[in-house]
Amino acid sequence: MAAVTLKKVVKRFGVFEIVHGANIDVNDGEFVVFVGPSGCGKSTLLRMIAGLEDISGGEIAIGGKLVNDVEPADRGIAMVFQSYALYPHMSVEQNLSFGLRMNGNPKADTERRVKRAAEILRIAELMKRRPRQLSGGQRQRVAIGRAIVREPQVFLFDEPLSNLDAELRVQMRVEISRLHKELGVTMIYVTHDQTEAMTLADRIVVLNAGNIEQIGAPLDLYDDPANRFVAGFVGSPKMNFMAAKVVGNDGAVTVELANHGGARLRKPLSGAPPAVGAEVVLGVRPEHFFEAGEGDCDIAVKADVAEHLGSVSYVYASAGPEELIIEREASRQRANGDHMAVSIKAVRSLLFDKSGARIR
Amino acid sequence: MRYQNATAYRFLAPYLLIFSIFWLWPIISSFLISFQATRTVPWRFAPSFNWGRLIGDPAFFNALKNTLLILVIQVPVMITLAIVMAVLLNSPLLKARGLFRFAFFAPVVVGEVAYSAVFRLMFNLDYGIINKLLNSVGLPRIDWFSNVTPAMAVIMIAVTWRWAGYNAIILLAGLQSIPQDVYEAATLDRVSKLKQFFYITLPLLKPIIVFCAVLSIIGTMQLFTEPFLITERGGPGGGTETLGLLLYRQGFRSLNFGYASAIAYTMAGLAIAISLAQLWLTRDPK
Repeated sequence: MAAVTLKKVVKRFGVFEIVHGANIDVNDGEFVVFVGPSGCGKSTLLRMIAGLEDISGGEIAIGGKLVNDVEPADRGIAMVFQSYALYPHMSVEQNLSFGLRMNGNPKADTERRVKRAAEILRIAELMKRRPRQLSGGQRQRVAIGRAIVREPQVFLFDEPLSNLDAELRVQMRVEISRLHKELGVTMIYVTHDQTEAMTLADRIVVLNAGNIEQIGAPLDLYDDPANRFVAGFVGSPKMNFMAAKVVGNDGAVTVELANHGGARLRKPLSGAPPAVGAEVVLGVRPEHFFEAGEGDCDIAVKADVAEHLGSVSYVYASAGPEELIIEREASRQRANGDHMAVSIKAVRSLLFDKSGARIR
Repeated sequence: MRYQNATAYRFLAPYLLIFSIFWLWPIISSFLISFQATRTVPWRFAPSFNWGRLIGDPAFFNALKNTLLILVIQVPVMITLAIVMAVLLNSPLLKARGLFRFAFFAPVVVGEVAYSAVFRLMFNLDYGIINKLLNSVGLPRIDWFSNVTPAMAVIMIAVTWRWAGYNAIILLAGLQSIPQDVYEAATLDRVSKLKQFFYITLPLLKPIIVFCAVLSIIGTMQLFTEPFLITERGGPGGGTETLGLLLYRQGFRSLNFGYASAIAYTMAGLAIAISLAQLWLTRDPK
């Protein structure tokens, strides 16, 4: 087991800087998820930890040891690839034992490790099969098994579930969680799926365009995002953003919503309020709209489409150019362009300045 | 449905007609001719006339021996060389990859007569560059075309030069279809580059290697141009005569079509048999 420390890690491909000085501390035994949209540099960061990509600047330490110039195989890590990267011409058993056999590991120990991995992942009955004879979920298990037999200090997962169907994804998610508890090993997991991040992580690192936007526990990111990007990325469906203008800042800030007929919301702030006249953005999660009259500010919207999921319904509504997603109690009511009124609570809304930074 | 099929066949008819006349019929016809005594006019049906002769003909066995000798030595050497070339071409360290790819492929584009002429010049006893090079390192010059062994060597070298790059390009496509992350996984497993080549690249490339080998076997079984042009009609004294050349001699010089057809069918049969054996030997274990 080992902690992983990234200090001012930079990655450049030619003149393009992909990762701009990342600082991350992954504690021993922690499950950390790197999440962000495609191209944000999360996989590159993981591959740098693995040693599959060179580090252009900064330091990476695993278990307190600087590994910048250490060979991938000597870093004490094991990696699970998105495409599984199984050896197609070898049986499951050979796939699991290949690395150990090539390195002259004692036969008895190799067998013990392979057996243990097979038991943990419940793939003992698949040992003689070739990868092409396995389902996606089974292949992923074998890929994880190959990581387990290395008995690494750190597990790295590169979008391991993105090739699986939705049901299997949920199942494997639970399995990986269980695996983490069972092995108690440090795990770093890359995904673009915020649900995976929320459900698996002890802490989430939100990345955007090569920058770390925020690091924190899943619910901390949900409740208290540092900026508009994190607020929009964490949570499903996405947070709604409404254009607004500051019209008063006497102790609390009062904003007027731009597309809602002059509706105003008074919101107490802990810090300095923005100047009157400043353009701001009000963020409200779909689940934080209330019945008209129950909140601090009522707005009227046009309900365009309704999605009934059984447990809840989502109304896709609009007000002028602004589109909103509103969670309602489950119903069978069809949306047909009717107007509906909902209410916003000051404590259940977030304020961002024009650049996207949070106003607290 | 039936009507639609009929329409489809009407569209196919011109092709099928031409195919039948110029492809199917010659195949059947030559098979029939191989059972005819074609040295008499009119031809008469005599199954043992050609096939019987074949079994006892020292010229046929000489050609067969030469062909198989070239096959057994040249094909493995060329395929090995092609694999090495493909791996080098695939290396990320290589600059000007396009240029090398073109250079490897170029021999196939060069006209057979031109390249044969160049090889004859290069291996010329008195002014050939090969003998000059041998001399310059203190080795005696070799009379390439007057002795059987060196003449065979020249043919093998020429064929290898012409086709190794072609096979390398096919193998390169195979190499590029092996996903990179398999190698990354192996790197994390502390498997050296050399072991990666033997335990990952070669097994995964096997179907392509077998494909190249089968193509080469078929090509070598029909070998004609090189012994015809470079060693002057299978010289010295029939020492490099191949089945293709014997077929030519019988069919086009002696106009003995029956015997030539029998030889042609033997060549095709052998090519199929050897290719099938090759496929069977390299099949995937169940």
